[in-house]
Amino acid sequence: MAVSGSAEPSTAAAGARDAPAGRMAGRRALVTGGVSGIGLATVRRLRAEGAQVVTLDRRPPGPDAPTGDRTAHVAADVTSPPQVAAAVREAARLLGGPADVLLNAAGVYRIRPMLDLSAAEWDETLAVNLRGPFLVGQAFAAALIEAGLPGAIVNIGSTAALVADAAEPSAHYNASKAGVLALTRQMAVEWAPHGIRANAVCPGVIDTPMLRLMDNPAAGQAYLEAGVPLRRLGTADEVAAVIVFLASTEASYLTGVAIPVDGGSTAI
Amino acid sequence: MRAVVTGAARGLGEAVAVRLAADGASVALIDIGREVERTAGRISPASEAGQVIGIVADVADETACDAAIAQAAGALGGVDALVNNAGVGGPDTHVVDTAFRDFWRVVQVNLGSAFLGSRAAARIMIEQGSGGAIVNIGSIFGQQGVAGGAGYCASKAAIALLTHSLALELAPHDIRVNTIAPGNMATEMHWDELRSRAAASGTTFEQQVDRVLRGVPLRRHGTGADVAGAIAWLISGDASYVTGQTIGVNGGVWLS
Repeated sequence: MAVSGSAEPSTAAAGARDAPAGRMAGRRALVTGGVSGIGLATVRRLRAEGAQVVTLDRRPPGPDAPTGDRTAHVAADVTSPPQVAAAVREAARLLGGPADVLLNAAGVYRIRPMLDLSAAEWDETLAVNLRGPFLVGQAFAAALIEAGLPGAIVNIGSTAALVADAAEPSAHYNASKAGVLALTRQMAVEWAPHGIRANAVCPGVIDTPMLRLMDNPAAGQAYLEAGVPLRRLGTADEVAAVIVFLASTEASYLTGVAIPVDGGSTAI
Repeated sequence: MRAVVTGAARGLGEAVAVRLAADGASVALIDIGREVERTAGRISPASEAGQVIGIVADVADETACDAAIAQAAGALGGVDALVNNAGVGGPDTHVVDTAFRDFWRVVQVNLGSAFLGSRAAARIMIEQGSGGAIVNIGSIFGQQGVAGGAGYCASKAAIALLTHSLALELAPHDIRVNTIAPGNMATEMHWDELRSRAAASGTTFEQQVDRVLRGVPLRRHGTGADVAGAIAWLISGDASYVTGQTIGVNGGVWLS
């Protein structure tokens, strides 16, 4: 994989506007959960703006994953400390230096009323969604701090961290995402002296494989009309555009914030 | 992109206008001070594609604000984005020592101008039928109170809920409304406040600067460019699913 950060013509899908080519040139990005959904959309956008990207996921890249000399993959389980440590080291080798952009997008979503929720299912969700960003964030920051380099972390929260949801009961998921926002603020404060910023996006109803809202199209459409001021699903590209803004130097004075990308649903 | 920036003669408003013009937007700068015309003149050569004009008006006055936004829309051929940046500080006194007119003046200018500017621009945007974006300028002091800042804090907190309500009303027209809440910015308004705090507490200006920075995790004041970068993103298609939010640009100061 080339270490050069020079922008190359990219066939990757741009985000919601023409990507400012080269805004991320020279950046080394690590994306967990980067093989599908918001993670994959962000990988494409990062590449389109000139970054090198390593994806970290239990799953292998799918057939629609971008390929080329600025993309690589490492297989790891974000809940395993030794696997995370090895993966972050391997990513640094592939990138030609420690990653200076981290997107923690690996996550699981399960609907389960609390009376039926087992402790094992609670633990599994908390492990992937909260322990994962902690472990990867810790390894990412340690490597950057040792190298004396600045960087940026973006975590994926959720509007479920901000409001409850009676239609899709998911206490374990909601609690994990609220934890992610607290983790983000703590990362911001503890690592600001090292020039590392940490922010979160809180996606609302986004058209990804994780979305359950539209399983019942009529009910889903009714929700969009009543619950989302912009009256439509968001796209993974729209979330990726916010993530890359937060990771870029355009956001150099933003740290510790959580930005809902939800069509205004939490404004109701 | 046709953008209107209020309070644009200097400081944050000027920085925002400079950035939007550099991105190729046509920009109308509105300010109560006549120097806004010189500011627009300075920015003009830097603009890649668009035109840059200065309009002298008091956007806290209903008639003047309506006329200024209409003039801007006429000159630019429409309005796609409005940045409600006009505002004043003060009165820097405790409530028990504050005259009502001084308290009210801050609320009237900061909140009133955001209401009037948004209303005038939204009417035009709805008529155009092509969506749009409005960005209001809140403050860290609209998110937490400060002794001696009741008027300013209340005005900025009110802007967050004005934003919230406007976002809901304008979403069907694909007009997004958000607030950027700067923290401690390297502006004359902030330095004046620190000078007055120093005078009131028998300390030095430098001691006051140091005290502020101890509360900022990123250990620096914000700049116009910091805020302009966030606003350029927020009015772009890159924020197309973001509306009704108040977003801090404060170096992490809200946190600790």
